[in-house]
Amino acid sequence: MCTLDNIIQIIGKEVARLILGLIGVLVVVVVNALVLTWVERKVSGHMQRRIGPKEVGPYGLIQPFADGLKLLAKELLTPANVDKPLYYLAPVIVFIPVLVSFIVIPFDGFLQVKDINVGILVILAFSSLSVLSILIAGWGSNNKYSLIGATRSVAQNIAYEIPLLLTLLPVVFMANSLSLRDIVEAQREGWFVWRWQFFAFLIYFIAATAETNRTPFDLPEAESELVAGFHTEFSGMRFALFFLAEYTNIFIASAIATTFFLGGYLGPVLPGVVWFFIKTYFLVFVIMWFRWTFPRVRFDQLLNFSWKILIPVAFANLIVTGGILKL
Amino acid sequence: MVKEVITGAISLLKGMGVTIKAFFSPVVTVQYPRETINITPRFRGHTKLVADDENPDKTRCIVCGMCERNCPSNSIQVIGEKKEGEKKKILTKYILNFTTCSQCGICVESCPTDALAFSGDYNPASFNKETFYYDLVAEFEKRKK
Amino acid sequence: MEISTKIKESFPSLEPKECPYEQNGYHLSIEATKSNIVDIARFFIKEDFYLADLCCVDYIDYLELVYFFSKHDKLLRIKVTLKIDPEKPSAPTISHIYNIAHWFEREIHEFFGVLFDGHPFMVYLFLHDQIDFYPLRKKQVPVPDEDKRLLNSFKPEEQEDGFFLNLGPQHPSTHGVLRVVVKMNGEYILEAIPVLGYLHRMHEKMAENRTYQQFYPNAARMDYLGALNFNLGYVTTVEKLCGIEVPERAQYIRTITCELNRISSHLLWLGAFLADLGGLTPFLYTFDDREQILDILEAVTGSRLTYSYFRFGGLFNDVDDNFVDGVKKFINRLRSRFSMYDRLVTGNVIFINRVKDIGVMDRSYPIRYGCSGPVIRSIGIPFDMRKHEPYAAYDRIDFKIATGTNADNMDRYLVRIQEMENSLDIIEKALKELPTGPIKADKIPKKLKPPKGDIYHTIESPRGELGIYIVSDESDVPYRMRWRVPSYSNLMTFPELAKGTLIADAIATLGSYDLVIPEIDR
Repeated sequence: MCTLDNIIQIIGKEVARLILGLIGVLVVVVVNALVLTWVERKVSGHMQRRIGPKEVGPYGLIQPFADGLKLLAKELLTPANVDKPLYYLAPVIVFIPVLVSFIVIPFDGFLQVKDINVGILVILAFSSLSVLSILIAGWGSNNKYSLIGATRSVAQNIAYEIPLLLTLLPVVFMANSLSLRDIVEAQREGWFVWRWQFFAFLIYFIAATAETNRTPFDLPEAESELVAGFHTEFSGMRFALFFLAEYTNIFIASAIATTFFLGGYLGPVLPGVVWFFIKTYFLVFVIMWFRWTFPRVRFDQLLNFSWKILIPVAFANLIVTGGILKL
Repeated sequence: MVKEVITGAISLLKGMGVTIKAFFSPVVTVQYPRETINITPRFRGHTKLVADDENPDKTRCIVCGMCERNCPSNSIQVIGEKKEGEKKKILTKYILNFTTCSQCGICVESCPTDALAFSGDYNPASFNKETFYYDLVAEFEKRKK
Repeated sequence: MEISTKIKESFPSLEPKECPYEQNGYHLSIEATKSNIVDIARFFIKEDFYLADLCCVDYIDYLELVYFFSKHDKLLRIKVTLKIDPEKPSAPTISHIYNIAHWFEREIHEFFGVLFDGHPFMVYLFLHDQIDFYPLRKKQVPVPDEDKRLLNSFKPEEQEDGFFLNLGPQHPSTHGVLRVVVKMNGEYILEAIPVLGYLHRMHEKMAENRTYQQFYPNAARMDYLGALNFNLGYVTTVEKLCGIEVPERAQYIRTITCELNRISSHLLWLGAFLADLGGLTPFLYTFDDREQILDILEAVTGSRLTYSYFRFGGLFNDVDDNFVDGVKKFINRLRSRFSMYDRLVTGNVIFINRVKDIGVMDRSYPIRYGCSGPVIRSIGIPFDMRKHEPYAAYDRIDFKIATGTNADNMDRYLVRIQEMENSLDIIEKALKELPTGPIKADKIPKKLKPPKGDIYHTIESPRGELGIYIVSDESDVPYRMRWRVPSYSNLMTFPELAKGTLIADAIATLGSYDLVIPEIDR
């Protein structure tokens, strides 16, 4: 007899949890990306006094499915002269780190695929990988716009990963753990954003916007300069994967901000998972709000801003926090 | 430096204030084709033939060919024939090639009998180029009914 | 005239002939020769004249190069002509003196076959290599093979060294089909070469095959954003040529509608400029405002973009009270919107950092390139054709000219914003004084046959000085019609400004010109 119990017994409880979790994560990733594309279009529409999608389904809710289907059904064009292995690999690689990052995010007290005791390191390590895929995409496309976009992306990610890390460290000090669930639990007395880490939160949020290549830091795909940047040559499902990854990255960046600074799944009355999504989606909305308000910064300004303002302030914050905790 | 950052941040917040206000304001777009706006009386669509005041069954056109000669794009072809026993030529076909017409209105102005006017037809669309070789006489007959 | 004696002193062989300005649009005409044209150009640049236009007219027996030199600070225009042999035509270049002559000479070369000795870059400007005859010659003159080879010699894709990037013809930043070949070193631009002609329709040739009336719709299609201004420019030139008096009411309505058109053009530019810088939302806001203007103008003129509303001697039809009320409402609306644009755009720190001190022109640009419009006013020169050489009702209305000081992208932005406010003032004043009366001069012949002669007339389009040169041979078809368009000379400054800047800055600079490509390509 092959029941569920048997299977779990055979493969072990942990592995079963992982497999189930991965399936759940995949579903969340796809649904989240679909929802976010719809939200983005509605937000942009209303901020521009337009209405956004409205024809497909009520309030245009089915629109992302229609778009997704269209992209799925499209022929996969491979331009001549591309570096084929890299070109094929890039959209796949871009997707792996975002999937892995989801494993350690605590959606609720128990709703977490796996609580790794170095959770935050996993996320940071894997999110750095996504820049690799952008570089591969840019290089493999054999397109000048793509190449410039890719090189920009690398410089930008290196510059903004440092403040990202430096702002997460004080929180780790205060929670005394690298596990995400412990960090959330440490905020039962109050969110870290109100406990001396407001600047850390601000810097993290700015750096996260840059990490996810969103306006005003969307230089790798700067439309008016580089057409579409690193994904200029990608079409159909390959483009969709980049698109999916972008929205998932936004979600992850917001989820980490929620976990580290806004008390994660903690909140009164409503279940934790609802609180988690409310907070995360609010931050996602703010990132979209940025995009539909600001013009784009220039490349040297972007780097200057990180190296000359964000990193020193983050460093000072880290030292002060460490000093106070030690005392 | 600190002051710069603070004033900069304030300017950004002001901008965000503008967009969030717009976010909660009503939309200004018209949801075509569910809603349409009125076409102004002077709108320049393709031309149409105007009925004669005394004899509303007939057009005012006297087949002089002024419009044909004055059209900058050679889009007009006026065909008339002289029937037995009648003094004047009678308009049989007025072909307007709308694919090259730029709605400048020179034909309307040059017409000595004011037989041409602009129609309010603002959304002609077709998969077929031949649709836009309008015969204004046929269109006039259709309008009459 | 003072300049006349000066010319005689410097060039004893020349005989400056005074011309009636009212009739010709220029004050002096000089017949130069191949041997002294370069020295004449040197003399004029020393006297702070700019080369307003350089064109060629084919008189069958001879070709005539026509140079127009004008001044920024006072109304003085001098026509210099140079007769050349139609067989193997050639002339000395003045492109090393006036940078703008660079493109003018290339244009004349491909249209007439005039070879300019010493010109460094005689390649196609508008045309492509399948042109077998020089298009603007009155007789069919085939393009010789060696000339074709010369015209075709620009091939950046075949150069081995360097990293070339094509901005355009299909690129989001070029607003139309402009192509700029940029040679880059990393993110820095080493060299930028604009390649034109993707929208070339040869309006100048079309003009030689149409009657004056039939050319109405063409004017609007050159500059689709300032269509009414181009329409007005064409109409006033022909009126001046024929000596037609226009009724006062028509002049005021022309002024009002042209200013509305100018505002709508500036609004579109504002949105597009921000889109160049990556901010997409202002685009929709400006379109919302612009829509109001289009509605007003549609109710009057019958079309929304390519108006041809003005007629020789007046207007197509009169305005009504609805128009007046609508314009008044719009003035109030736009005035209240400026503070919103201030908060969203002008004060935004990212925007300021992107445009301040970027694309700075020095004071030699207007003379060397003949740039005009908001571009020259940002340098601090209050050069505006509406004041400089008034037409329509501009001399009866008191208005300010917006100027900048730094000549950077920020100033070009501020000048245009200020200009919109000034235009609102002009409209308000004109509405107050709007006289009653006829809107069209009577006795305009159905077939217009202007007297023999030539005329150069300018107006201020939203982008700057629009000059129209018409040669009439007493027939109902112009013998030669030449359009000097503002974006053309403004764009010419781009290669020099872009050199050594980041690509993002170059795109901001390109956006700040407010280019309309169909106008450049004609």
